[in-house]
Amino acid sequence: MTEMQRVALMEKSQAPLLARRFFDRGDPGAIVATLAHVPELLETTAPFLGSIYGPSALPPRLKEIVVLRTSGLQKCRYCIETHSVVALDSGLNRQEVLYLRDERDIGDLFDDERERALLAWVELVALGPGEPSENVAAKLKAHFSDAEIVEITMVSAATLMLNRFCTPLGLPTSAATLNRLSEEGLH
Amino acid sequence: MSAVAEAIEAGRMPGRVWLYSNYHCNLACSYCLTESAPGVATRRLGGDRMVALAREASELGFNEIGVTGGEPFLEPDMPETIARLAEIVPVVVLTNGTLFTGRRLERMAPLASEDVRIQISLDSSDAVANDTMRGPENFQKVVDAIPRLIGMGIKVRIASTLEYVAETDLSALCSLHRALGVPDEDHIVRPIVRRGRAVDSDMGISAGAADLPPELTITADGAFWSAFGPTVHGGRLDTDLLVTRTTSPLRIPATTMLHLLEHQPASATADSEFI
Repeated sequence: MTEMQRVALMEKSQAPLLARRFFDRGDPGAIVATLAHVPELLETTAPFLGSIYGPSALPPRLKEIVVLRTSGLQKCRYCIETHSVVALDSGLNRQEVLYLRDERDIGDLFDDERERALLAWVELVALGPGEPSENVAAKLKAHFSDAEIVEITMVSAATLMLNRFCTPLGLPTSAATLNRLSEEGLH
Repeated sequence: MSAVAEAIEAGRMPGRVWLYSNYHCNLACSYCLTESAPGVATRRLGGDRMVALAREASELGFNEIGVTGGEPFLEPDMPETIARLAEIVPVVVLTNGTLFTGRRLERMAPLASEDVRIQISLDSSDAVANDTMRGPENFQKVVDAIPRLIGMGIKVRIASTLEYVAETDLSALCSLHRALGVPDEDHIVRPIVRRGRAVDSDMGISAGAADLPPELTITADGAFWSAFGPTVHGGRLDTDLLVTRTTSPLRIPATTMLHLLEHQPASATADSEFI
């Protein structure tokens, strides 16, 4: 257990009955291995998160913009590190990842109006408080359907929940992710 | 009728619920599943909570309560708690049998008229062999207590937890329990399960969920698959047989237990690979 961890990750040999299936294919990841302490929470939370972060109508690039920007603004180390890799694999480049992580200015990045509208919306959702400005909402509505807006907002909101779960509990980033980040010069 | 009640009635789910009243004990047996001893964390359920759980269990269709620990009779109000439980459903209480003297013994008297069985551990007819496993003077205290309880009209069973069953030893043990007034049908012989302190003592047989009776077991730490589930090793609670952390309302672990009994969980791949 690392110094920053507040709770131990569940080991496979101690995985409760409801949680065992999550360990069948090896390391289930820090979020699952933490939730496994309360198996009834894992039982409901895992499918919920799977529907948020798994394949859906929202293209992977847009989804990772939402996840990484939300996590960057919330300074969630675990989520930033983990989703930097997912973002790269979803077609974002290193400079875009650095901006989403809140580590550089936007500059000439994200010149697509649709993505600019998305970023403005995510900033309001992630940072709150209160209702978003009409201007930002109108720009989002000009580029996205109601269904897309619902999903974008839900992805950001669920990421906020995870940000506030992973950071206080000090979840450790996997060695594989850290190695990849080093290779990409993002660690 | 609830799904749990239907499953119990149909014999698809055992009707007994175990309650771990506490984890501390005046003994420190070499094969103890829970590493119980004097001074360990007590992790009490408490009498009122036990009675509330028994009421819920009865409403759900369960038909018996088992009380275990730790040593249940270290709980000051245990005789009265058992009497309250027995007003709801039949009760069996597992005890080391070493505390039935004086005022505590007198307070057991009302249990004679209740549907209560006191199950006392006795592992050998040989005092030295028994006490090697269970602690000094255990044998004498137990063989003194059993006739006292029976004399009060209390129903007593003897449970022998054995590493090896040698025929001559078992024969002597059976002669002893008969001499103490406990008939053959109330003598239980069971193997040591390799969990808790038995692991360190290199004793017992390994047993997983499929090998253990799936009897819903409630502790201060959550609900477990079996009374053999909430074991402690190296001071840490084992969670491999944990069902839910939620124990109230009891229908949550009960329905989860039924789900586990009747459905093999689907692959988690779809749920977890994107988290």
